[in-house]
Amino acid sequence: MEKTEAPETAVLALHKQFLGEDRAKAPLRPVNEAGIRRFETLKFPHRKHEMYTFVNTHELAGTSFELAGDGPVDAAWVQDRIYPACQHSVMVFVNGAFQENLSDLSALGEAFKVSCLSDAVADDEIKHTLLDLLENENDVFAAINSAFVHHGVLIDIPAKAIFDVPVQMLHVSTGTSSGAVTSHPRLVVRLGETAELKMIVTTTGTRENYFINAVSDFIVKDGAGVTYTQVQKDHAESWHCSKTRVQLHRDARFFGRNASSGNRLTRHHYEVRLKEEGAELLLSGASVLVNQEQVHNFIRIHHEAPHCTSIQRFKNVINDKGRSSVDGTVIVNRGAQLTNSDQLINNLMLSNDAHSDIKPNLMIFADDVKCTHGTTVGQIDENQLFYLKTRGLSQALAKSLLTTSFVNSLIQTIPFPDVVADLDTVLMKKLEA
Amino acid sequence: MSLLEIKDLHAGFEGTEIVNGVSLTVNTGETHAIMGPNGSGKSTLAKVLVGHPSYEVTQGSITYNGKNLLEMDAEDRALAGVFMGFQYPVEIPGVNNAEFLRMAYNAKLVHKGEEEVDPLDFDEILDEKMKLVGMDKKYKDRSLNEGFSGGEKKKNEILQMAVLEPKLTILDETDSGLDIDAMKVVAEGINKLTHENNALILITHYQRLLNYIEPQFVHVFSGGKIVRSGGKELAHELEAQGYDKVTAPAK
Repeated sequence: MEKTEAPETAVLALHKQFLGEDRAKAPLRPVNEAGIRRFETLKFPHRKHEMYTFVNTHELAGTSFELAGDGPVDAAWVQDRIYPACQHSVMVFVNGAFQENLSDLSALGEAFKVSCLSDAVADDEIKHTLLDLLENENDVFAAINSAFVHHGVLIDIPAKAIFDVPVQMLHVSTGTSSGAVTSHPRLVVRLGETAELKMIVTTTGTRENYFINAVSDFIVKDGAGVTYTQVQKDHAESWHCSKTRVQLHRDARFFGRNASSGNRLTRHHYEVRLKEEGAELLLSGASVLVNQEQVHNFIRIHHEAPHCTSIQRFKNVINDKGRSSVDGTVIVNRGAQLTNSDQLINNLMLSNDAHSDIKPNLMIFADDVKCTHGTTVGQIDENQLFYLKTRGLSQALAKSLLTTSFVNSLIQTIPFPDVVADLDTVLMKKLEA
Repeated sequence: MSLLEIKDLHAGFEGTEIVNGVSLTVNTGETHAIMGPNGSGKSTLAKVLVGHPSYEVTQGSITYNGKNLLEMDAEDRALAGVFMGFQYPVEIPGVNNAEFLRMAYNAKLVHKGEEEVDPLDFDEILDEKMKLVGMDKKYKDRSLNEGFSGGEKKKNEILQMAVLEPKLTILDETDSGLDIDAMKVVAEGINKLTHENNALILITHYQRLLNYIEPQFVHVFSGGKIVRSGGKELAHELEAQGYDKVTAPAK
């Protein structure tokens, strides 16, 4: 039967039901209520919404979701998806809920402090991150996450802590054969001064028909650094929204990379504030899209202090009827002198029906800055193809080499060999004709 | 049987005829220099020989090892032993130089019915070839031609020639843009790679390369055809008198 009600109604009804359930946690209730109020104000995006110009969320908004349960998942299935380097530094989440029995943090030691958000919200800074920031939350899906957040973790890393191995956050969504389910993973990571963390987030699903809607906050104190890689390898018939919000203090660093396989809709939203001098940001994304897969990157970078650097690098290979967009705005506040900002977006289109949108944007309010941006959209370079053929490579091999090297040049910058190897299957195999 | 036989070739680009009736025979063991002013059609001839898709042949024939070259795709010509050193080698970021060379080397082996070599074995072969042409090992790990200087790109072309061991090599203005020292290194590499079982067509604008690579035959191009042919002394004559005088019709 065709839906005649506004799509918001279903969310509100689900929320009412959720608040009455055991899983809703009392300490997070203020967040849930502020979240749903914010959702009611924002509503699902209309077609001309500035943040969703290139992203059609109608199908997603119009789908009725139930809240995903606890699983179950097959332990062996999960084990296969834990990277070799992270065997003893992995947190497994099923539908957003941390599974202690499937996880192993023994290689990380005491400095890797994990607590439930329902306990952590008592901390002023965490409360500010979860609650106060909601007032100005402009992403409706992040508002929905807050409305439904009940499990979620805080990772508190003390000053000077450094770990030998990366930690893997393995998110498993249990899909369904009929109907659709949604989960709302929530993560806050706080690093003390000069601490360092390497984190890999993988999102995957057992089967189709799920919507994973995640929000992660990174509070990076003076001199601390995060190397963060997302591997989006969800089921092709699923939806994925992730908002990553980063606050960088003095001389802090965030090197964020994503490698996305795409699905019905994947949207990565990055909101980064370089709050104090010397902060440094890298955001890069690589995707290979076939069939009707979609990956969208929405980036807002705020230079709020002088002497900060932000670099964006995105490469998308789009085949069949795939759709991709990169909407990246850099805002340089008055006083953020000697800002250095650079953005490069390259898209390779392999079919006539492939679609890509790119919107680089600079808003500069300081007068002594270096801000550059560049974009290329094209097909395989015929001169490069010919050159390879004159060396004896067949048309098919030459084409394959050019397309893999296009995206490989970004994947090879991921500092986790296990991830690079995984992406051989997740992304590179999709390039084979 | 001659290695390459070009008969009355007419070819052009986007409807404009550039090669205007070229006939040339090259035998195994020979080095032919093709010289001429800019725009005379030398590069077009080279591109037609390797099968560039933008150039169309309107008349004439090219036989290579007894086969009709014009019916062969670019990759088939390469596998049959035709190699061109480009005047402006393309940069291909993200394609590792050593890996690309191994793929080309293996394509040739497979074409001959032999087994491919693995990366480790190829590494040894590549080291040897790089030593032969005087190229630093650091270029193994670089992306194909990316960020290479003009001289390094030309050397990389000669390295590919060393790896692929072609039967017929066409070098299109390999010396252009090189200083004398770089040119000497490149010439030395080329000399080590040419012998009685292969052949070389050297397309050059300047005479000086021919001080280091001695041709048996020199052909002068003008207006899309060969207007004079001779031995290596013709190159000296060109240097002394210039193209206009040498290509002027005899009175």
